[in-house]
Amino acid sequence: MELIDQFVVTMLRSSTPIILAAVAGLFAIRAGVFHLGMEGLMLAGAFTAVAVGTVAGSVWIGLAAAIVVCLVLSVLYWILIDKFRADTVIAGLGLTALCVGGTAFLMQAIFNQRGSMQSSVRLPRPVSGVNDGLLAFVSELSVMTWVLPILVVLGWILLTRSHLGLQIAAVGEYPYGAEASGVNQSRVRLHAILITGVGCALAGAQLSVGDLSAFTENMTNGRGFIALAAMLFGARSPLYTALAGLFFGFADAFGILIQIRADGSIPRQFVLMAPFVITIVIVALSSSIGRRRRRF
Amino acid sequence: MGIALGCGGVTVSFDSVKALNDVSLTLESGKIHALLGQNGAGKTTLARFFSGLIKPDTGRLEINGREVEPGEVSEARAQGLEIVHQRFTLPPTFSVSDALELSATLKKGRAVFSTNTVAKSWGDEMQKAGIDASPFAKVGSLPIETVQSLEILRALSGNARILILDEPTALLSPGAIASLFERLRKLRADGVSLLVILHKLQEVLEIADTVTVLRDGRLVANPTPIENTSSSELSDLMIGGDGGPSVLQAQAAMSASGKARLVADSVTTASQKPGEPELTDATFVVRESEILGVAGVEGNGQRQLADLVCGFADLQDGKISLDGVDLSELSLAERRRIGIRIVPFDRMSEGASLATPLWENVITWRAEEFRKPHIPFLSVRAMKQRSREILGGLGVKFDSLEQSAMSLSGGNLQRLILARELENGVKLLVAAQPTRGLDFSATDFVLRCLEQLRNNGAAVIMMSSDLDELFDLSDRVIVLRGGRIAGEFQPPYDRQLVGDAMVGATR
Repeated sequence: MELIDQFVVTMLRSSTPIILAAVAGLFAIRAGVFHLGMEGLMLAGAFTAVAVGTVAGSVWIGLAAAIVVCLVLSVLYWILIDKFRADTVIAGLGLTALCVGGTAFLMQAIFNQRGSMQSSVRLPRPVSGVNDGLLAFVSELSVMTWVLPILVVLGWILLTRSHLGLQIAAVGEYPYGAEASGVNQSRVRLHAILITGVGCALAGAQLSVGDLSAFTENMTNGRGFIALAAMLFGARSPLYTALAGLFFGFADAFGILIQIRADGSIPRQFVLMAPFVITIVIVALSSSIGRRRRRF
Repeated sequence: MGIALGCGGVTVSFDSVKALNDVSLTLESGKIHALLGQNGAGKTTLARFFSGLIKPDTGRLEINGREVEPGEVSEARAQGLEIVHQRFTLPPTFSVSDALELSATLKKGRAVFSTNTVAKSWGDEMQKAGIDASPFAKVGSLPIETVQSLEILRALSGNARILILDEPTALLSPGAIASLFERLRKLRADGVSLLVILHKLQEVLEIADTVTVLRDGRLVANPTPIENTSSSELSDLMIGGDGGPSVLQAQAAMSASGKARLVADSVTTASQKPGEPELTDATFVVRESEILGVAGVEGNGQRQLADLVCGFADLQDGKISLDGVDLSELSLAERRRIGIRIVPFDRMSEGASLATPLWENVITWRAEEFRKPHIPFLSVRAMKQRSREILGGLGVKFDSLEQSAMSLSGGNLQRLILARELENGVKLLVAAQPTRGLDFSATDFVLRCLEQLRNNGAAVIMMSSDLDELFDLSDRVIVLRGGRIAGEFQPPYDRQLVGDAMVGATR
């Protein structure tokens, strides 16, 4: 029982930030923006939540600050790709690089810490006191995991059942038609990128003040890219993307559990590699199945 | 009678070219006005100016008798003006109701909705307009005429009082054109003012109340009541003094004895295009110095035939060979190398890379020939030099080799495609709707090219929905229906028999 408990907790914890970022990232990708800055935004969100939360003494202020910072960075990204016509991939990687370096630098400059910093704040765990039985694990889940299903459904409604969602899809799939119908493409892209930014802020905050109360350099560790993989794997549909995120959480939990349980017979490096190897294999499989016949 | 549309002193230039030059006109409301002109005469530019999509260098705009700031789509819309573009605006990947909702909510506003309510309300609207399609169907899977009716429905959903249609007949079959015209007359009866861009004189004479002619960006005929003009007068106005209208006089030479070039032996395709029949158990031959005409209602296997020959569709069954060489195992590039070329159905999306410079469009497929000696690089200078010759050879009009293919008008782009495809040892050309959407001088040019190609010994498969040009040019005509060859005809052609074979009628 204990093993299953541990596994479910780990899986839900690992998949929460991935699902948050992935479903939010759908807004950008559906608007035709392949947003490689998500990794960086998550990192910025994680750091801001810890830094501001610690200074202000409130995790909610930290969370709000994380959202604001990610919104500002998203506007910057939008200006780069939309106003200056920068390549979305290069601008995204640039944004990520800025955040990786920037968070490490600020941590040292402001808090005089290297590598990682501890915090006194943490998101609440709304369900507590379930100590035994099969459901004991629920008390270890942060509020973010609890509201996650609501956010996914909200994302689904916005993407497929709202005027904004239609505009976003039109801008991404058929810009000519969007323009001719009087859609302001630039503004729709901005909205999409901002929503992605908010999701990345929440995902980052969940990493730093949801699971733990600490920030570590580069603590996102590729989760922003895994979120991109989840979107592609989930065929750009919000519900499938959430399922894909859950699956990557499963792979992650699997790796962590082997690490804990293994008596050292499996080299640590292989264990750490597991989630990424699973990701690569799955994405390769799904894209080779979906690949169309060459045209030229 | 009020004024529906008016403009004064409108000049629009793209780079150094003046697309419209000091155009002034007024159009009365409640009528069907035709706008006529050759490709590149500025018709579409004028339509886009009226609808606010283009901001002019100078000039004023008047809609519904009111002065409107030019270059503002929302201003034009607020005055009840809508445009149906030549290229459809409903996203092909969307469901019908989503696509309609996309552009219509701009006026009505339904921030969040359920799929069913949207489908229901648009389904009702479609029923009222007499459009037979499911609101859940994907736009891209519907026949062209249905999508066009949906485009008109979309435009009218915001209570438009003035409707501009940019070359609405270009993609339609004769039957669909008739029902489109019926729809337009009904709209006129409801008090909607229409401005219709057309390029066929016959259609203008049939539908329009007045006609306006543009040439080289200038107004050459003010709105003239249709009864006060004639087709010969209009064609003189379109073409201008020099040149004059040329007549298609090509009488096909009988050459049925030539050597068989393309041989298809009971071929069946596996192209897997939803909603379209596969080419099924078709046996036909195309000979040297022969134009084989392919007639048929659109979507009856024409695309599958073209795709099979050029290598876009797989062969399911049967044999196909060119000059004795089995084609089934050859890649697209290999087929080009042995002389199979195509003028594709849609020159914008299939025939050219619109965002790419002219010279790349012409030369990329044979870049191999421009390797520099000794080092593994291509000589861009030689490629450009050759491109210039190729483009010049067929008289493509351009300012610079670096301009994008997008900047060419329809007829000019088709010239570019022909110039590319006819280069370098063409043995078999598949010309799929090569004259679609072209004005008559461009049409004439294309047809002459095909004729000359035939006279030089090549084999040509020509697909067209215009039976007249098909009969004029073809040495033989086959008819496709439901993917099967429904008949083969020799000149002189009997229009009625061919028509019967197209629709499957017996008499």
